[in-house]
Amino acid sequence: MRLPRAHRLCAPSLRPLLAKELAEIVSGRALWTMLLLACPLVGFSFVQAVALYSEASAAALQSPVLATSLSPLDGILVPTFGAFYLAVTLLFPFVAIRALGQEKETGALRLLVQLPYRSSTLIIAKLAAVLAAWALVSIPALSTLAIWAVLGGHLALSETLNLLLGHLLYGLLVGAIALLAATISDNSATAAIIALAVTIGSWVLDFTFAGRSGLSAWFAQLSLTQTLRSFEQGLFSAGLVLGIMAVVCGLAAVASVWLPPGIVPRIKLVRSALCVLVTVVAIVIASQIREAVDVTEDQRNSFLPADQRLLATLRLPLAVTVNLAPEDPRYVDLQRNVLAKLERAMPNVSVVFAGGRRDVARKSPDDAYGTIEYVYGNRSDVSRSTSPREILPLLYALASTQPPASAAGAEYPGYPLVASAEATWLWFLGGLPVLIVLGWSWTRRPPRIPASFVEGGPP
Amino acid sequence: MMADICARDAIPAQALRVANLTKRYGHELAISDVTFSLVPGEVLGIVGPNGAGKTTLLETLAGLLAADSGAVFWRGKQLPPQCRRDALFYLPDGVKPYQDRFAAEVVSFFGSVYNRSAAEIAARIAAVGLAPVLGKRVRALSKGYNRRLLIAIGLLTPQDVLLMDEPFDGFDLRQTRHIVEVIRNEAAKGRSFMLAIHQLADAERVCDRFILLAGGQVRAIGTLDELRAQTSRRGASLEELFLALT
Repeated sequence: MRLPRAHRLCAPSLRPLLAKELAEIVSGRALWTMLLLACPLVGFSFVQAVALYSEASAAALQSPVLATSLSPLDGILVPTFGAFYLAVTLLFPFVAIRALGQEKETGALRLLVQLPYRSSTLIIAKLAAVLAAWALVSIPALSTLAIWAVLGGHLALSETLNLLLGHLLYGLLVGAIALLAATISDNSATAAIIALAVTIGSWVLDFTFAGRSGLSAWFAQLSLTQTLRSFEQGLFSAGLVLGIMAVVCGLAAVASVWLPPGIVPRIKLVRSALCVLVTVVAIVIASQIREAVDVTEDQRNSFLPADQRLLATLRLPLAVTVNLAPEDPRYVDLQRNVLAKLERAMPNVSVVFAGGRRDVARKSPDDAYGTIEYVYGNRSDVSRSTSPREILPLLYALASTQPPASAAGAEYPGYPLVASAEATWLWFLGGLPVLIVLGWSWTRRPPRIPASFVEGGPP
Repeated sequence: MMADICARDAIPAQALRVANLTKRYGHELAISDVTFSLVPGEVLGIVGPNGAGKTTLLETLAGLLAADSGAVFWRGKQLPPQCRRDALFYLPDGVKPYQDRFAAEVVSFFGSVYNRSAAEIAARIAAVGLAPVLGKRVRALSKGYNRRLLIAIGLLTPQDVLLMDEPFDGFDLRQTRHIVEVIRNEAAKGRSFMLAIHQLADAERVCDRFILLAGGQVRAIGTLDELRAQTSRRGASLEELFLALT
């Protein structure tokens, strides 16, 4: 009846573990409750977004110039998925915590850790289940893409996929935080408090330190919401993706350190510190990767293609000294319209931030405030402009290069659409919730029990 | 049973040896210098009143609690806590594993982790009489059937030593006798058992030897006859011996 020893030492199959984790998370009510709550939340955002987009489109249909500013990414996808982001931030921790919390509370964890799996394997399996749960809870948001297409709306594949990737990574990050919280907490309630303190604390960071400089700006960058910004702007940043993955792996590693009982806290703390150290190193390395691809259809994060090509040939270092306070709207314009694009287009750009807070109490104004100095090679020039139309010629002059001929390329046409999404309430408040309830009851159906299992009756 | 015990006494190799195991909770001593051994096929009972340290001893042995001092040896070699699951499997008391899943799914999960065939899983289900509740969710199981589920899980594990905390809790006399028979059958195949039992009559039914634990300290170790000899009480029951020794 017992297995031979050699047989026992074989590596156990991951399949039953993954199936168990998936079944556990799907059988919980938290997942289905979140799905039901996401329906009206996402639905409301979508209907509102379509209404606003239609209003803007009505005017744009008369004017092609106005139409160019109508992008479904900004008008529909970002606000609709913004509601999904809200649901993930506030509700998804409860779903993810269940992956471990119930095992802790019922004592099943004491059986689980005795199975022939490494702690890291157990955590990875749970993270995989959390990922599957994220895929399920994203159904309402994903359904808006189909509805938008049915309404006749335009979807650019690359920017849509990029946005989905951003939300996937954000969901994974929230799931990993929740899993770690569940690992270090005695019960699910404490874990939820810890996880929400981190996710909602991110908002506090955002609000408190928005537009600040120095250490405050560094703190603001720790906010989880920062992870989505780049994807919402249509940038695929390899460094950001690697950085998020490093944090997820770091959280999973610390969770696997704290999962097994029977190890004294001192050893767990030392191992956790090592994990944190490795994660920080990985984040620093990832932050050095500055490659970012502009995946937007309107190439909003790039100069015109001819300028991009010419700027890429300017090999000497370009030093930009900005005399603006970070909260100054001109700096925000400059950063978005010029500096971010330059950093992506030119091989060697350094930006020095010379503008501190402007002292409004000073009677004599600082003449240098508002100037931006560009030094290319041994030549320099100063400008107050934040527009690429003035700065690019300045740079070409510094580099003694002729500006590229303005090519009459295919301009972004914009995608105005006048439509009403009111009818989709039937889907978000009727069809989809019914499907969710049916899905929930399907997961609760009794399993098919092999005949051999039931043949043996009670003694 | 005596013949069985004698037969097992002839097995010289110690499967498990525990030396000076000590565990404190803060300043409170939960178990102190516990030393004993276990031979293959033996059923060892840990008996003692509530708070004697039975569960702490089992959890420390299984590596689920960090010991303050002491060592565990498996076939002569020290077995560090992280390797205990290679030789020992512990079934805790009061666990309702995966409450929202069906009993059949839970048994199948543990069986498939250890690559057990459907026939092997069915054999364990039949052995403990779990079949009538396979289609029920674990949260809906009675205390007795939940205990059967745990025992079925334990029987599916391949470890040489099975540690069980209060394995008969929730069973009536007839069911207890049946599970005793199941354990004895497994032990006859060479598997060792350590059972923490506070019902002394149950312990007397199933165990070959006893560790009498009180206040975290071992008060006596031996077979029933050896304990009788220690106390000079011929024909005394385990209950009487326990009262005399603790």
